Amino acid sequence: MNIETQNNVCEESIFSTIFKTNSKTVFNYIYYKFGNEEKAHDAVQEAFVKLWENCAKVSPEKAKAFVYKVANNLYLNVIKAEKVRLKYADKSLKSTNETPEFLMEEDEFRGKLENALDSLPENQRTTFLLNRIDGKKYKEIAEMEGVSVKAIEKRMHLALKSLRAQIDGI
Amino acid sequence: MQENYLAKWLNNELSEVELAEFKKSEEYASYQRILDASNDLEAPEFNEDEVLMAVNNRRTLQQTKVVQLNPFKKFMKVAAVAAFLVIGSYFYINTLDEKVTTQYAENREVVLPDNSEVILNADSQLSYSEKKWDEQRNVKLRGEAFFKVAKGKRFIVATDAGSVAVLGTQFNVENREGFFEVTCFEGLVSVTFEGKETKLPAGSSFMAINGQIVESQITKAEEPSWIHSESSFKSIPLKYVLQEFERQHNLRVETEYIDTEQLYTGSFSNTDTNLALKSISMPSQIKFKLEGDKVLFYAQKAE
Repeated sequence: MNIETQNNVCEESIFSTIFKTNSKTVFNYIYYKFGNEEKAHDAVQEAFVKLWENCAKVSPEKAKAFVYKVANNLYLNVIKAEKVRLKYADKSLKSTNETPEFLMEEDEFRGKLENALDSLPENQRTTFLLNRIDGKKYKEIAEMEGVSVKAIEKRMHLALKSLRAQIDGI
Repeated sequence: MQENYLAKWLNNELSEVELAEFKKSEEYASYQRILDASNDLEAPEFNEDEVLMAVNNRRTLQQTKVVQLNPFKKFMKVAAVAAFLVIGSYFYINTLDEKVTTQYAENREVVLPDNSEVILNADSQLSYSEKKWDEQRNVKLRGEAFFKVAKGKRFIVATDAGSVAVLGTQFNVENREGFFEVTCFEGLVSVTFEGKETKLPAGSSFMAINGQIVESQITKAEEPSWIHSESSFKSIPLKYVLQEFERQHNLRVETEYIDTEQLYTGSFSNTDTNLALKSISMPSQIKFKLEGDKVLFYAQKAE
């Protein structure tokens, strides 16, 4: 019954829902690209303020694509990515029975992985992390980036290849 | 192995055969480890509520701005530019000095804001600031003018050669190329010439020719003669007399074999050209020829 009234982004509740479902990913998306939290925060704000300004023109189905586009365009001219500093989930509770040697080795591996991620091309890193951290399907990433699913598969493949090459020191 | 098999593997899209083959490869362990480690990765903290609040704040700001101000924005811009132009030109025009100029053979009477009178002789220019008149009675003069100054604050006539300061009197100032003369007809006039101040009582003149101060005679007149369409001279080099003649009659003067430095005493009419020519040529014993707007003065040969 409220399908009619829900069909407008200018509706406060609709806007909030769109924000809650997408803001974190927009934030991560920009963060993976540029490695800068401040930029990522600004991008989220900018994207949703713009969405509000254009709420009469953008349908709820198009809102997601709209915010990614705004966030993306905001840093169109920013080329240089900074170091991407990611955190690791705290596994200490699960791994109490691991030996200190194992934990040290694990830490070392994570360090290598992080360095390898930093040296990936921006589009490969973004694709890889959106998939691994945010659990985004290739199709969704393809929509965000405005490319084909095949192109995303290619990026994913190359990302894994170069991560291994760097970590194994090939 | 199919294209982009690593991506397919992550997506569980490899066939059983392909998966088995991949698992046998030596890189498999590395890939699996990368995958395991990457599952523990986390993006930086993102405080959704905080950002939503910031967005909402900007939204309300925008709302008041967009909804209420925008229709006026364009109008305000235009209005601001128009107002700026109007006010700007008002001030610009206001600061411009008033200017009165006379052509050859033209005299003009000017009444200043304090009712002081100025009569401009031919080919002269007077300028003053009407806006600042209450603060300072300053006029700039190029050429010649007769001043009847109303009583009041110091009245200053500035010329290229020197300046004249008075309180309220009648005097004549002439400043032509190389020639500077001030004649006081009433009251007291102070003349500053090359940094030196000279006080002129009524009936006396101050004259400088080519920067040299020249003694000049006492005058008994109450006004300069040119006010009555007559130009008078007392021991003035002929060249200045001829220049004045050019100005008064709008004619071009040429000379031949004449010493233009010789002194001339006399007067000529500013209205009757023929009479004026005779008045100049007779006492100086020179001849003249009038052709169109040109007059040639030449020496009378002793034949």
